[in-house]
Parts: sequence; C-alpha cells; structure tokens
Amino acid sequence: MSTQLMSDIIAAINEFDAEKVKSASVKALEANISPVEIIQQGIAAGLLEIGKKYETGELFVTHLVAAAEAAKSTISEVLEPEIRKAGSEGVGGPRVVLATVKGDIHDIGKNIVGAMLFSAGFDVVDIGKDVENDFVVSKVKELDAKILGLSALLSTTIPEMRKIIELLIEAKIRDKVKVIVGGAPVTEQYAQEIGADAYAENAAEAVAVSRKLLGMD
Amino acid sequence: MVKYGRKGGFLRFLSDDDCEAIHQSAIEVLETVGMKSESHTIMDVFDKAGAEIDKDKRIIYIPEHLIMEGLQKAPKKVTLWGRTPGTEMILYGDYVHYGLGGTPCPNVLDIDTHEIRQSTKQDAANFAKLCNALPMVEFAMSIAGALDVPREVEYIHEFEVSFKNLEKPLIHPVPGVEANEIVIEMAAAIVGGHEELRKKPIFSAYCETAQPLVFVKENDNMILNAKAGIPVTLGPAAMMGATAPATLAGANVVTVSENLAAIALTQIVAPHSPVIFGAWASVMDPFTTRCLYAAPEFALGTAVLCKQMANFYKMPNFGFAGPSDSKMPDAQAGAEAMEICLMNALMGNNLLHDGGYLASGGVGSLEMCVIIDEIFGYVDRILRGIEVTPKHLAVDVIRDVGPGGNFLSHKHTLKNLGETMYLGRLFDRTSEEAWVKAGSKDMFTVANERVKKLLTEHEPAPLEKDVEAKIDKLVADSHKKLVK
Repeated sequence: MSTQLMSDIIAAINEFDAEKVKSASVKALEANISPVEIIQQGIAAGLLEIGKKYETGELFVTHLVAAAEAAKSTISEVLEPEIRKAGSEGVGGPRVVLATVKGDIHDIGKNIVGAMLFSAGFDVVDIGKDVENDFVVSKVKELDAKILGLSALLSTTIPEMRKIIELLIEAKIRDKVKVIVGGAPVTEQYAQEIGADAYAENAAEAVAVSRKLLGMD
Repeated sequence: MVKYGRKGGFLRFLSDDDCEAIHQSAIEVLETVGMKSESHTIMDVFDKAGAEIDKDKRIIYIPEHLIMEGLQKAPKKVTLWGRTPGTEMILYGDYVHYGLGGTPCPNVLDIDTHEIRQSTKQDAANFAKLCNALPMVEFAMSIAGALDVPREVEYIHEFEVSFKNLEKPLIHPVPGVEANEIVIEMAAAIVGGHEELRKKPIFSAYCETAQPLVFVKENDNMILNAKAGIPVTLGPAAMMGATAPATLAGANVVTVSENLAAIALTQIVAPHSPVIFGAWASVMDPFTTRCLYAAPEFALGTAVLCKQMANFYKMPNFGFAGPSDSKMPDAQAGAEAMEICLMNALMGNNLLHDGGYLASGGVGSLEMCVIIDEIFGYVDRILRGIEVTPKHLAVDVIRDVGPGGNFLSHKHTLKNLGETMYLGRLFDRTSEEAWVKAGSKDMFTVANERVKKLLTEHEPAPLEKDVEAKIDKLVADSHKKLVK
C-alpha cells in the first residue's frame, strides 16, 4: 500500500501536476504515512528522477521548474502544516534566502535558481524582487540562513550587492552566511571585488556552489 | 550609400494575414491583459490619456485607439546622426544599415592574452575607435562595459568614450532618468545646444521594457528622450518558454504588445517624436536557460518577425548583425554571424546590431568586429543583386570576343569587373602555397592582426578642446550626483 502511494506521488511529479501531487499526498497522509516519509520517499524521489532525466538531456529546465513548483506547493500547503502540528520545525535542509536586489525587477533567473536549489533539498526562502537591502539582512538574521543568493540583471543595480554585504558585516552576521551572487552583469571578478563567497553563472552551478560552500560534497 | 543604406527586403515569410493576426492579438493583450507599470509616472501618463488603470495591481489597460493614434503619429522615417557630417543614416522601408555592438558585455576576449576577462573603459574606447575605422560599419553600440568605474556611472563613462572615439551614429542604453539627463547634456555640448540636438540627435537611447508586459522605472527615460527629440530604440527580447510563450508567434505577440505600448507612451508625451521598432522573439536554451543569439529560431524571431511587423506598421526597425553563441571567433562564430547578418539583410531590417558578441552576449570580441565588417561586405554585395540591362547582358562583347576567345583584356571587362565584385578585405582567397608562405594563419590570427593595426593607425577626428572639457566635467560631476 505504502509503496503504491509513493509511486503515485512520484508519477504525479513526473507529470508536473501539482493537483495530483497534492491529492496523492493527502491519500498517503490518510494512510498514516508520516509527512516526512512522504517527502523523502515520494516527493524527493520524484524530483530525483526528474533531475536525472534533466542531466541526460531528456527533460528541460522548464520541466525541472514545473516539478519543483508542484512539489513545493504540496509541501507548503499539505505536508508542512502536518509536520508543524507534530511539533517539528520544518522540512529541514540548509536554509537559503534568495532575493533580486533593490531597483531590479528581473527575477526569472532567481526563480529558476530557487527551483533548482529546492529540488536539490535546500530549504529555499524566496523574499522576492526589488527588495530593500535592510530587509534582506533582517531576513538572513531572522531565518538563520546558511546561504544568501543575490541576483541582478541591470548594471546599475548590482552595486546593491556590495551594500548588502557591507550591511551583513555591520550586523555582525557576515561569518554566519555564505553569499552567492549571479545575474547577467555579474562576473567572477566582481564577486571577488565585493567580497562575496562565490559567483554562480547559472542555476545548476548555484546548486553545485552551494553544496560546496556548505561542505556537503 | 551610407546615408540611405542598401536596399534589402528580398525575403518574406509571413502573409499580410499573419501580420494582422499578430497585431490583433497584441491589441487584445493590451486591452485585456494590460501592461504592468513599476513607474507611477508612466501610469499617470496613460491615466490622463484615458486608459483604464488598476492602481492596486499597477496594470494599465491600453485601448486600441491610443495604440493606433500612437502608431499614426510616430514618424515613418527616422534619421540618426553622427557627430561628423556625412555619417547620418536615414531609416525607413527595407534599407539596411550595418552596425556593431549591442548593450555592453560584461567580459571581453583580450586581444593580447586571448583570455576572457572582465571588460574595462579602455575596451569600450577601443571598440568605438575600431567601429570608427571599419569601412562597412555605419553605426555603433557597445561590446564592452566600463566595469572598472563605479557601476552607477558606468553608462556615462561609456558614452564619454563613444563620443570621443566615434564620429558615426551611436545607439546606447542609458537606464535611469538622472544618468540620461547627463548624457543629453553631453550630446548637446557636442552639437552646440539642445535645439541643435533635437534637429540632429547624435545618439539614440536603447530602451527595454521587461518581459512579459512590464514598464520598469527606468522606462521613465522613454518620456525624457521623446521630449528631447532623442530617438527611442525599442528592443524587448522575450525568451520563449521563460518570459514569453514557447512559440515564435506567441513570443512576438508579447514583444509587439510592449512595443505598441511604448510607442503609445512616447507619442502621448511627445507627438511625432522618433521611435525605432524592435520586437523580437528570442530563444532560451532549454538545458542551460542561456539566452541564445544565433539559433535558427532566433533568426526567425528577429530578422523575420521584427521586420515584417515593422513593415506592417511602416516603422523603421532594429535588427541584428552577427552575434554568436560560440566562445571564440571560430567556425561556429563565423557560420552564426553570416546566418544572422544575411537573414537580417535579406529581410531588409534597417539597423543591424549586436555584431561582435560572443558567448551569447557575455563576451565582446574585437576580432569578431573586423570579421563581421567583412561579412557586411559580402552581404552588401549580395543585396546589390544582379543587374540585367543590355550593358550587363553584353551580347556585343560576347560577339567581339567570339567562340574560343577570352575576355581578359576587353574594355568591358576592365570597366565592369571591379564594379561587379566585392573585393574582400580580410577573408583569405589566396592559393594554399601563398597561405603557407604567409605563415599558415587562421582567421582568428588574421583578424587579431587587423584589430591591432587599426587601433594603432586610426585616429578619430577629435572633439573640440572646449567640448571635450565640458564632457569631462559632466562625467566628473556625475560621480557626485549618482555614486552613493
């Protein structure tokens, strides 16, 4: 029974169908399977399959994003409330805060990075676009983020990245969080100049770099 | 030739009905989906003009009549001027003008080390100088950001080196009203005042809405430029499957909508101000999400869709030269450059830009610039086509020579051979022996040598001393204003 229910969730993820993932997860809860097990045996297993198919060129990034969105909405709407009811904190995984910096509303790259990190098991908190620098820092502090991912598309907005790093130093939490920067005008050299921990050229690299920075490999 | 361009427009893919369908779809989108506006100023303009506004959601629903009035008022012919007389380009119809660069790349291919590194102000200056020297190039944008100056004033420094090193027309992005005002002051200093600048604008501001369907705060400069008589060049590039539907026509509906909204905006605030149409469907690599610049769908999404919709509206338009997804000037880069140049020219796009881009716009290459200058020569020859007159049919000449003779020294040959041919400046056409003797150089090496030669030998006409001083002061002052 349990195996069948998990296969249903995996199949629903492979169809990128959020409603099906949710209903299959509800059925599993009704069968007294724990939400943590549903995430590990069902949803994460489904995302792993998608990830493998992406790596072999069978699926696109668009499929990855669709699967991640289906998984994420199921976790936040169906499974996390159950976990909280049971008195536990959340779904686990290192916490990442993502933001597109002040003055910039170009956020599609950041959204793809979020989906990829989520699929790789990170606890992603996306705080949006055109975000005030102080808000970024307060969120990092409040959520005890292990990684801060900053994105910008405009040359004129990327100086905000430097300012955020300066604010992290002022708030005395610079050593508590790894800062990864990316976006079209950002270069490896710029990342070094402003004292970021890493530059990621694309979403897949953001995952690899995050794992490396946290010593997960 | 420079002034009027070379007539292209030999190819057509869409029927009039297809264009009408894209247009009507865009109208439906603007009326029922609307444009989001991050700018209150732009929202107010449309509010006063009678558009329906959802202030909470910041959505502007633009009625058809505002769009059609905008299209009717927008000039059908736009002239871009260089700072030196005789470099101006008249844009209309299917006349093609060749240019290099686009928005500044973050990296360049170093001409000495051949490594990819972050670009500098000096790279931007070198590019402008090279464009001034290259014979086929009629206008320039950029291939190198001035990333060694504070980013808030990057664009000001780029304009500075372009104005100093380029006598030909310039198109350049300038996000933000404050920076844009400074650039207008710089241009006015060069031409001798604001009224003169309005008559002969020596630059065009490249302005992009954000996809899908968003006016960003930086777009306030569309209003500023329209009022100052500076031509606004539009270029929203919606990525299929990411910021637009995953179909060419669907992506074009998004960018045509954004163009029509922007045209309406400029014509409301400054009736009859010059605008250049640019509505592209661009390509996302589905594995890496990179925005591809030379995929075959990109050729269709730019050269075909943009031009045919521009012609549908009778607007001058913005097309593409030879950007490449390759990381160095290699066989791939050459093939892609020719693909995009030739397609754009055969379609009759008015302004061919983005030549010199490698790595999908991530890396600028001066070697590619000289290679594309040669490609322009080839393309231009193809556009000249084939003349069929008695003189060209030359039956009398054939009679003169007769069966078994030769045409080598005939007067007709001496008179016509040079005119018939484009005589190549760069591509190697020698024998294999001669090539080996000359060092067996590949095109990258040959192009690199030409870049270095031109940068050493070419001297752009300098600005007047007092003008240069004014520009330098404006640049210095911009730091106080903009760098926080």
